[in-house]
Amino acid sequence: MNYSLIWSQVTPHIPYLLGGAALTLQLAVISFLAGWAIGLVNASVLHFGPRPARLAVQGYVTFFINTPLLVQIFFIFFVLPDAGILLSPYAAVAIGMSLNAGAYLTEIQRAGFQSLRREEIDAATAMGFSVPQMVWYVILPHIAKALYPPLSNQFIIQVMTTSIAAIFAVEELTGRAYNVNSLTFRSLEVFSITAVIYVVLTLACSMALALLGRWLFRVKARIL
Amino acid sequence: MWEQVIEDAPRFFGPWNLLFLGEALVNTLLLSYLGAGIGFVIGFGLAIGRHPRLYGVLPLRIAATAYVEIFRRIPFLVKLMCVFFAFQLSGAQASLFTVALVTVVLSAAAFAAEIARAGIESVPAPQWDAAEAMNFSRWRVLTRVVAPQSWRVALPPLFGYAVGFIKSTSIASQIGVLELTYAAKILNTRGFSALLCFGTILVVYFLICWPTKRLGERLEARLGRRAKA
Repeated sequence: MNYSLIWSQVTPHIPYLLGGAALTLQLAVISFLAGWAIGLVNASVLHFGPRPARLAVQGYVTFFINTPLLVQIFFIFFVLPDAGILLSPYAAVAIGMSLNAGAYLTEIQRAGFQSLRREEIDAATAMGFSVPQMVWYVILPHIAKALYPPLSNQFIIQVMTTSIAAIFAVEELTGRAYNVNSLTFRSLEVFSITAVIYVVLTLACSMALALLGRWLFRVKARIL
Repeated sequence: MWEQVIEDAPRFFGPWNLLFLGEALVNTLLLSYLGAGIGFVIGFGLAIGRHPRLYGVLPLRIAATAYVEIFRRIPFLVKLMCVFFAFQLSGAQASLFTVALVTVVLSAAAFAAEIARAGIESVPAPQWDAAEAMNFSRWRVLTRVVAPQSWRVALPPLFGYAVGFIKSTSIASQIGVLELTYAAKILNTRGFSALLCFGTILVVYFLICWPTKRLGERLEARLGRRAKA
Protein backbone atom coordinates (compact mmCIF):
# COMPACT_ATOMS: atom_id res chain seq x y z
CA MET A 1 0.00 0.00 0.00
CA ASN A 2 1.45 3.32 -1.00
CA TYR A 3 0.95 6.44 1.03
CA SER A 4 2.03 9.79 -0.35
CA LEU A 5 2.32 12.87 1.78
CA ILE A 6 -0.05 15.70 0.85
CA TRP A 7 0.60 18.67 3.10
CA SER A 8 -1.69 21.12 1.32
CA GLN A 9 -4.80 19.47 2.76
CA VAL A 10 -3.60 20.03 6.32
CA THR A 11 -2.04 23.49 6.15
CA PRO A 12 -5.44 25.32 6.11
CA HIS A 13 -6.14 23.74 9.51
CA ILE A 14 -3.01 25.09 11.21
CA PRO A 15 -4.79 28.15 12.70
CA TYR A 16 -7.39 25.78 14.19
CA LEU A 17 -4.58 23.70 15.71
CA LEU A 18 -2.94 26.82 17.13
CA GLY A 19 -6.26 27.67 18.77
CA GLY A 20 -5.97 24.30 20.48
CA ALA A 21 -2.50 25.27 21.64
CA ALA A 22 -4.10 28.15 23.58
CA LEU A 23 -6.31 25.66 25.43
CA THR A 24 -3.23 23.49 26.04
CA LEU A 25 -1.50 26.43 27.71
CA GLN A 26 -4.61 27.23 29.73
CA LEU A 27 -4.86 23.68 31.02
CA ALA A 28 -1.13 23.63 31.79
CA VAL A 29 -1.31 26.91 33.73
CA ILE A 30 -4.40 25.86 35.72
CA SER A 31 -2.99 22.46 36.67
CA PHE A 32 0.42 23.92 37.44
CA LEU A 33 -0.94 26.61 39.74
CA ALA A 34 -3.29 24.20 41.51
CA GLY A 35 -0.49 21.65 41.81
CA TRP A 36 1.86 24.31 43.13
CA ALA A 37 -0.64 25.28 45.84
CA ILE A 38 -1.17 21.61 46.77
CA GLY A 39 2.59 21.13 46.83
CA LEU A 40 3.15 24.17 49.03
CA VAL A 41 0.56 23.07 51.59
CA ASN A 42 1.93 19.51 51.52
CA ALA A 43 5.54 20.66 51.92
CA SER A 44 4.49 22.80 54.91
CA VAL A 45 2.71 19.81 56.43
CA LEU A 46 5.79 17.63 55.88
CA HIS A 47 7.93 20.24 57.60
CA PHE A 48 5.68 21.39 60.45
CA GLY A 49 2.75 18.98 60.64
CA PRO A 50 2.04 16.16 63.10
CA ARG A 51 3.05 12.60 62.23
CA PRO A 52 -0.34 11.31 60.95
CA ALA A 53 -0.64 14.28 58.57
CA ARG A 54 2.92 13.73 57.37
CA LEU A 55 2.19 10.07 56.68
CA ALA A 56 -0.96 11.00 54.76
CA VAL A 57 0.98 13.45 52.59
CA GLN A 58 3.72 10.91 51.98
CA GLY A 59 1.10 8.34 50.99
CA TYR A 60 -0.48 10.80 48.57
CA VAL A 61 2.87 11.65 46.96
CA THR A 62 4.02 8.01 46.68
CA PHE A 63 0.71 6.93 45.18
CA PHE A 64 0.46 9.69 42.57
CA ILE A 65 4.11 9.48 41.53
CA ASN A 66 4.01 5.72 41.04
CA THR A 67 0.82 5.37 39.00
CA PRO A 68 0.10 6.61 35.46
CA LEU A 69 -1.74 9.90 35.08
CA LEU A 70 -3.93 8.41 32.36
CA VAL A 71 -5.27 5.74 34.71
CA GLN A 72 -5.73 8.33 37.48
CA ILE A 73 -7.92 10.37 35.15
CA PHE A 74 -9.78 7.24 34.00
CA PHE A 75 -10.44 6.59 37.66
CA ILE A 76 -11.75 10.11 38.26
CA PHE A 77 -13.78 10.09 35.06
CA PHE A 78 -15.36 6.62 35.29
CA VAL A 79 -15.42 5.74 38.98
CA LEU A 80 -16.56 8.98 40.59
CA PRO A 81 -19.87 8.99 38.61
CA ASP A 82 -20.70 5.72 40.42
CA ALA A 83 -20.38 7.68 43.66
CA GLY A 84 -22.65 10.38 42.28
CA ILE A 85 -19.98 12.88 41.22
CA LEU A 86 -20.38 13.66 37.53
CA LEU A 87 -17.54 15.65 36.01
CA SER A 88 -17.09 17.15 32.56
CA PRO A 89 -14.06 15.77 30.65
CA TYR A 90 -12.28 19.09 31.03
CA ALA A 91 -12.85 19.15 34.80
CA ALA A 92 -11.78 15.51 35.19
CA VAL A 93 -8.56 16.13 33.27
CA ALA A 94 -7.85 19.37 35.12
CA ILE A 95 -8.40 17.73 38.52
CA GLY A 96 -6.34 14.67 37.62
CA MET A 97 -3.47 16.76 36.28
CA SER A 98 -3.56 19.08 39.31
CA LEU A 99 -3.42 16.18 41.78
CA ASN A 100 -0.65 14.55 39.78
CA ALA A 101 1.37 17.77 39.50
CA GLY A 102 0.71 18.36 43.20
CA ALA A 103 2.65 15.19 44.05
CA TYR A 104 5.69 16.20 41.99
CA LEU A 105 5.58 19.78 43.21
CA THR A 106 5.43 18.53 46.82
CA GLU A 107 8.69 16.68 46.24
CA ILE A 108 10.31 19.73 44.64
CA GLN A 109 9.20 22.15 47.34
CA ARG A 110 10.02 19.74 50.15
CA ALA A 111 13.62 19.79 48.94
CA GLY A 112 13.47 23.58 49.03
CA PHE A 113 12.13 23.59 52.60
CA GLN A 114 14.97 21.32 53.68
CA SER A 115 17.55 23.68 52.25
CA LEU A 116 16.42 26.34 54.69
CA ARG A 117 18.65 27.24 57.64
CA ARG A 118 17.29 26.29 61.06
CA GLU A 119 18.06 29.77 62.50
CA GLU A 120 15.69 31.51 60.13
CA ILE A 121 12.75 29.42 61.28
CA ASP A 122 13.81 29.91 64.92
CA ALA A 123 13.92 33.67 64.38
CA ALA A 124 10.47 33.66 62.77
CA THR A 125 9.08 31.55 65.62
CA ALA A 126 10.60 33.95 68.16
CA MET A 127 8.86 36.82 66.43
CA GLY A 128 5.54 35.05 66.82
CA PHE A 129 4.88 34.11 63.18
CA SER A 130 2.23 31.48 62.67
CA VAL A 131 3.13 28.58 60.36
CA PRO A 132 1.29 29.97 57.28
CA GLN A 133 2.87 33.39 57.86
CA MET A 134 6.28 31.80 58.24
CA VAL A 135 5.87 29.83 54.99
CA TRP A 136 4.63 32.84 53.05
CA TYR A 137 6.86 35.63 54.40
CA VAL A 138 10.04 33.82 55.44
CA ILE A 139 10.42 30.48 53.69
CA LEU A 140 9.05 31.19 50.21
CA PRO A 141 11.12 34.32 49.52
CA HIS A 142 14.22 32.44 50.62
CA ILE A 143 13.75 29.38 48.48
CA ALA A 144 12.07 31.02 45.46
CA LYS A 145 15.33 31.52 43.58
CA ALA A 146 16.54 27.98 44.15
CA LEU A 147 13.15 26.50 43.27
CA TYR A 148 12.61 28.50 40.10
CA PRO A 149 14.49 26.19 37.67
CA PRO A 150 12.80 22.92 38.79
CA LEU A 151 9.42 24.66 38.90
CA SER A 152 9.73 25.98 35.36
CA ASN A 153 10.88 22.52 34.29
CA GLN A 154 7.71 21.10 35.82
CA PHE A 155 5.63 23.65 33.91
CA ILE A 156 7.12 22.46 30.61
CA ILE A 157 6.25 18.88 31.61
CA GLN A 158 2.69 20.04 32.34
CA VAL A 159 2.42 21.55 28.85
CA MET A 160 3.33 18.21 27.29
CA THR A 161 1.17 16.21 29.67
CA THR A 162 -1.97 18.10 28.61
CA SER A 163 -1.97 15.99 25.43
CA ILE A 164 -3.61 13.26 27.54
CA ALA A 165 -6.74 15.45 27.61
CA ALA A 166 -7.29 14.49 23.96
CA ILE A 167 -8.16 10.95 25.10
CA PHE A 168 -11.12 12.47 26.98
CA ALA A 169 -12.23 14.48 23.94
CA VAL A 170 -11.02 17.81 25.28
CA GLU A 171 -10.23 19.90 22.22
CA GLU A 172 -6.75 21.07 23.09
CA LEU A 173 -3.86 20.78 20.64
CA THR A 174 -3.79 16.98 20.39
CA GLY A 175 -7.59 16.77 20.56
CA ARG A 176 -7.88 19.15 17.63
CA ALA A 177 -5.23 17.12 15.80
CA TYR A 178 -7.54 14.11 16.18
CA ASN A 179 -10.39 16.21 14.76
CA VAL A 180 -8.37 17.35 11.75
CA ASN A 181 -7.22 13.77 11.26
CA SER A 182 -10.77 12.46 11.06
CA LEU A 183 -11.66 15.30 8.71
CA THR A 184 -8.79 14.98 6.24
CA PHE A 185 -7.35 11.47 6.87
CA ARG A 186 -3.87 12.93 6.30
CA SER A 187 -2.74 11.30 9.54
CA LEU A 188 1.04 11.53 9.41
CA GLU A 189 0.90 15.11 8.15
CA VAL A 190 -1.48 16.19 10.92
CA PHE A 191 0.46 14.57 13.73
CA SER A 192 3.89 15.68 12.56
CA ILE A 193 2.64 19.27 12.31
CA THR A 194 1.21 18.86 15.81
CA ALA A 195 4.57 17.56 17.02
CA VAL A 196 6.30 20.61 15.54
CA ILE A 197 3.80 22.91 17.26
CA TYR A 198 4.54 21.19 20.59
CA VAL A 199 8.29 21.62 20.08
CA VAL A 200 7.88 25.30 19.25
CA LEU A 201 5.40 25.83 22.08
CA THR A 202 7.61 24.27 24.76
CA LEU A 203 10.69 26.05 23.42
CA ALA A 204 8.80 29.36 23.60
CA CYS A 205 7.69 28.56 27.16
CA SER A 206 11.24 27.64 28.19
CA MET A 207 12.57 30.90 26.78
CA ALA A 208 9.81 32.99 28.34
CA LEU A 209 10.37 31.35 31.73
CA ALA A 210 14.13 31.85 31.50
CA LEU A 211 13.61 35.55 30.67
CA LEU A 212 11.13 35.87 33.55
CA GLY A 213 13.68 34.21 35.85
CA ARG A 214 16.35 36.69 34.77
CA TRP A 215 14.04 39.58 35.48
CA LEU A 216 12.80 38.20 38.83
CA PHE A 217 16.02 36.91 40.32
CA ARG A 218 18.74 38.78 38.42
CA VAL A 219 20.45 35.55 37.44
CA LYS A 220 22.18 34.81 34.18
CA ALA A 221 19.99 31.89 33.20
CA ARG A 222 20.62 30.17 29.89
CA ILE A 223 17.86 31.33 27.55
CA LEU A 224 18.28 28.46 25.13
CA MET B 1 -20.94 1.40 44.20
CA TRP B 2 -19.45 -0.93 46.82
CA GLU B 3 -22.26 -3.49 46.50
CA GLN B 4 -21.39 -3.88 42.83
CA VAL B 5 -17.72 -4.29 43.66
CA ILE B 6 -18.44 -7.01 46.18
CA GLU B 7 -20.82 -8.71 43.78
CA ASP B 8 -18.37 -8.49 40.83
CA ALA B 9 -15.19 -9.38 42.70
CA PRO B 10 -15.40 -13.21 42.56
CA ARG B 11 -16.18 -13.12 38.84
CA PHE B 12 -13.61 -10.39 38.17
CA PHE B 13 -10.79 -12.35 39.77
CA GLY B 14 -11.80 -15.54 37.99
CA PRO B 15 -9.13 -17.57 36.14
CA TRP B 16 -9.81 -16.18 32.65
CA ASN B 17 -9.70 -12.58 33.73
CA LEU B 18 -6.51 -13.19 35.69
CA LEU B 19 -4.95 -14.81 32.63
CA PHE B 20 -6.05 -11.81 30.55
CA LEU B 21 -4.62 -9.34 33.07
CA GLY B 22 -1.46 -11.45 33.31
CA GLU B 23 -0.93 -11.21 29.56
CA ALA B 24 -1.51 -7.46 29.76
CA LEU B 25 0.97 -7.22 32.62
CA VAL B 26 3.62 -9.08 30.62
CA ASN B 27 3.08 -6.69 27.71
CA THR B 28 3.37 -3.64 29.97
CA LEU B 29 6.58 -5.01 31.52
CA LEU B 30 8.06 -5.91 28.12
CA LEU B 31 7.13 -2.55 26.61
CA SER B 32 8.54 -0.51 29.46
CA TYR B 33 11.65 -2.45 30.51
CA LEU B 34 12.68 -3.67 27.04
CA GLY B 35 11.89 -0.28 25.49
CA ALA B 36 13.67 1.65 28.20
CA GLY B 37 16.63 -0.76 28.09
CA ILE B 38 17.15 -0.44 24.32
CA GLY B 39 16.49 3.29 24.51
CA PHE B 40 19.04 3.80 27.25
CA VAL B 41 21.74 2.02 25.23
CA ILE B 42 20.98 4.22 22.20
CA GLY B 43 20.92 7.25 24.52
CA PHE B 44 24.44 6.49 25.73
CA GLY B 45 25.49 6.24 22.09
CA LEU B 46 23.95 9.65 21.42
CA ALA B 47 25.76 11.16 24.42
CA ILE B 48 29.08 9.77 23.16
CA GLY B 49 28.30 11.17 19.72
CA ARG B 50 27.60 14.58 21.22
CA HIS B 51 30.76 14.92 23.28
CA PRO B 52 33.47 16.98 21.56
CA ARG B 53 36.32 15.01 23.18
CA LEU B 54 34.86 11.64 22.29
CA TYR B 55 33.25 11.05 18.91
CA GLY B 56 31.51 14.40 18.57
CA VAL B 57 32.35 15.43 15.03
CA LEU B 58 30.25 18.44 14.09
CA PRO B 59 27.52 16.90 11.87
CA LEU B 60 27.03 14.09 14.37
CA ARG B 61 26.82 16.57 17.24
CA ILE B 62 24.23 18.69 15.47
CA ALA B 63 22.13 15.65 14.56
CA ALA B 64 22.30 14.15 18.05
CA THR B 65 21.53 17.46 19.76
CA ALA B 66 18.59 18.13 17.44
CA TYR B 67 17.23 14.66 18.07
CA VAL B 68 17.50 15.01 21.85
CA GLU B 69 16.02 18.51 21.96
CA ILE B 70 13.13 17.68 19.64
CA PHE B 71 12.12 14.29 21.01
CA ARG B 72 12.09 15.50 24.60
CA ARG B 73 9.57 18.16 23.63
CA ILE B 74 6.92 16.03 21.94
CA PRO B 75 4.24 14.45 24.15
CA PHE B 76 4.22 10.65 24.22
CA LEU B 77 0.75 10.45 22.69
CA VAL B 78 1.71 12.60 19.69
CA LYS B 79 4.94 10.66 19.26
CA LEU B 80 2.96 7.44 19.34
CA MET B 81 0.63 8.69 16.61
CA CYS B 82 3.56 9.84 14.47
CA VAL B 83 5.29 6.46 14.76
CA PHE B 84 2.00 4.65 14.12
CA PHE B 85 1.36 6.50 10.88
CA ALA B 86 5.03 6.54 9.88
CA PHE B 87 4.89 2.74 9.83
CA GLN B 88 1.85 3.06 7.58
CA LEU B 89 3.80 5.38 5.28
CA SER B 90 6.75 3.00 5.08
CA GLY B 91 4.39 0.17 4.21
CA ALA B 92 6.03 -2.09 6.79
CA GLN B 93 3.73 -4.59 8.45
CA ALA B 94 4.37 -3.91 12.11
CA SER B 95 2.33 -5.14 15.05
CA LEU B 96 0.80 -2.58 17.40
CA PHE B 97 3.21 -3.80 20.07
CA THR B 98 6.16 -2.95 17.81
CA VAL B 99 4.77 0.54 17.20
CA ALA B 100 4.49 1.16 20.94
CA LEU B 101 7.92 -0.35 21.59
CA VAL B 102 9.55 1.88 18.97
CA THR B 103 7.89 4.92 20.55
CA VAL B 104 9.20 4.02 24.00
CA VAL B 105 12.68 3.44 22.56
CA LEU B 106 12.66 6.80 20.75
CA SER B 107 11.63 8.67 23.93
CA ALA B 108 13.95 6.75 26.22
CA ALA B 109 16.93 7.40 23.95
CA ALA B 110 16.33 11.16 24.02
CA PHE B 111 15.98 11.33 27.82
CA ALA B 112 18.86 8.92 28.50
CA ALA B 113 21.17 10.95 26.26
CA GLU B 114 20.82 13.92 28.63
CA ILE B 115 21.52 11.80 31.70
CA ALA B 116 24.48 10.11 30.07
CA ARG B 117 25.82 13.52 29.14
CA ALA B 118 25.65 14.58 32.79
CA GLY B 119 27.49 11.35 33.66
CA ILE B 120 30.24 12.01 31.11
CA GLU B 121 30.59 15.62 32.26
CA SER B 122 31.01 14.46 35.85
CA VAL B 123 34.49 13.23 34.91
CA PRO B 124 36.81 16.15 35.78
CA ALA B 125 38.70 17.87 32.96
CA PRO B 126 42.22 17.11 34.33
CA GLN B 127 41.53 13.41 33.83
CA TRP B 128 40.74 14.00 30.16
CA ASP B 129 43.95 15.99 29.83
CA ALA B 130 45.95 13.29 31.58
CA ALA B 131 44.50 10.58 29.36
CA GLU B 132 45.29 12.62 26.26
CA ALA B 133 48.79 13.35 27.50
CA MET B 134 49.33 9.61 27.82
CA ASN B 135 48.25 9.26 24.19
CA PHE B 136 45.07 7.31 24.93
CA SER B 137 42.86 6.77 21.92
CA ARG B 138 39.27 8.01 22.14
CA TRP B 139 38.08 4.47 22.60
CA ARG B 140 40.45 3.88 25.51
CA VAL B 141 39.51 7.22 27.09
CA LEU B 142 35.91 6.12 26.88
CA THR B 143 36.32 2.57 28.14
CA ARG B 144 39.11 3.06 30.68
CA VAL B 145 38.50 6.57 32.05
CA VAL B 146 35.02 7.87 31.33
CA ALA B 147 32.77 4.81 31.44
CA PRO B 148 33.99 3.36 34.78
CA GLN B 149 33.28 6.67 36.52
CA SER B 150 30.25 8.03 34.74
CA TRP B 151 27.97 5.01 35.06
CA ARG B 152 27.74 5.61 38.81
CA VAL B 153 26.33 9.08 38.15
CA ALA B 154 24.09 8.08 35.26
CA LEU B 155 22.56 4.83 36.48
CA PRO B 156 20.34 5.94 39.43
CA PRO B 157 18.39 8.67 37.57
CA LEU B 158 17.70 6.18 34.77
CA PHE B 159 15.51 4.23 37.17
CA GLY B 160 13.44 7.34 37.76
CA TYR B 161 12.96 7.68 34.00
CA ALA B 162 12.17 3.97 33.71
CA VAL B 163 9.25 4.59 36.08
CA GLY B 164 8.19 7.40 33.76
CA PHE B 165 8.14 5.00 30.82
CA ILE B 166 6.19 2.35 32.71
CA LYS B 167 3.58 5.05 33.24
CA SER B 168 3.79 6.27 29.64
CA THR B 169 3.03 2.80 28.29
CA SER B 170 -0.52 3.28 29.60
CA ILE B 171 -0.95 5.70 26.68
CA ALA B 172 -0.24 2.85 24.25
CA SER B 173 -3.77 1.67 25.10
CA GLN B 174 -4.88 4.39 22.66
CA ILE B 175 -3.74 2.41 19.63
CA GLY B 176 -5.03 -0.85 21.07
CA VAL B 177 -1.93 -2.54 22.46
CA LEU B 178 -3.08 -5.10 25.01
CA GLU B 179 -1.38 -3.68 28.10
CA LEU B 180 -2.81 -3.05 31.56
CA THR B 181 -4.80 0.09 30.79
CA TYR B 182 -6.33 -1.40 27.65
CA ALA B 183 -7.20 -4.57 29.55
CA ALA B 184 -8.95 -2.49 32.21
CA LYS B 185 -10.91 -0.63 29.54
CA ILE B 186 -12.01 -3.90 27.95
CA LEU B 187 -13.05 -5.42 31.26
CA ASN B 188 -14.93 -2.23 32.10
CA THR B 189 -16.74 -2.43 28.76
CA ARG B 190 -17.67 -6.04 29.54
CA GLY B 191 -19.63 -4.73 32.49
CA PHE B 192 -17.34 -5.03 35.47
CA SER B 193 -17.46 -2.09 37.83
CA ALA B 194 -15.09 0.75 36.92
CA LEU B 195 -13.78 0.91 40.47
CA LEU B 196 -12.73 -2.73 40.31
CA CYS B 197 -11.11 -2.48 36.85
CA PHE B 198 -9.21 0.76 37.25
CA GLY B 199 -8.55 0.24 40.96
CA THR B 200 -6.91 -3.12 40.26
CA ILE B 201 -4.57 -1.81 37.58
CA LEU B 202 -3.70 1.23 39.69
CA VAL B 203 -2.49 -1.20 42.35
CA VAL B 204 -0.62 -3.29 39.75
CA TYR B 205 1.06 -0.19 38.30
CA PHE B 206 2.03 0.87 41.79
CA LEU B 207 3.52 -2.56 42.49
CA ILE B 208 5.67 -2.28 39.35
CA CYS B 209 6.69 1.37 39.68
CA TRP B 210 7.37 1.66 43.37
CA PRO B 211 10.05 -1.07 43.64
CA THR B 212 11.73 0.28 40.50
CA LYS B 213 11.87 3.74 42.01
CA ARG B 214 13.10 2.41 45.38
CA LEU B 215 15.82 0.44 43.61
CA GLY B 216 17.01 3.63 41.92
CA GLU B 217 17.04 5.49 45.24
CA ARG B 218 18.98 2.75 46.99
CA LEU B 219 21.48 2.57 44.13
CA GLU B 220 21.90 6.33 44.34
CA ALA B 221 22.67 6.14 48.05
CA ARG B 222 25.10 3.23 47.62
CA LEU B 223 26.93 4.47 44.54
CA GLY B 224 27.06 8.02 45.89
CA ARG B 225 28.68 6.80 49.10
CA ARG B 226 31.26 4.78 47.25
CA ALA B 227 32.04 7.64 44.88
CA LYS B 228 32.78 9.93 47.82
CA ALA B 229 34.95 7.40 49.65
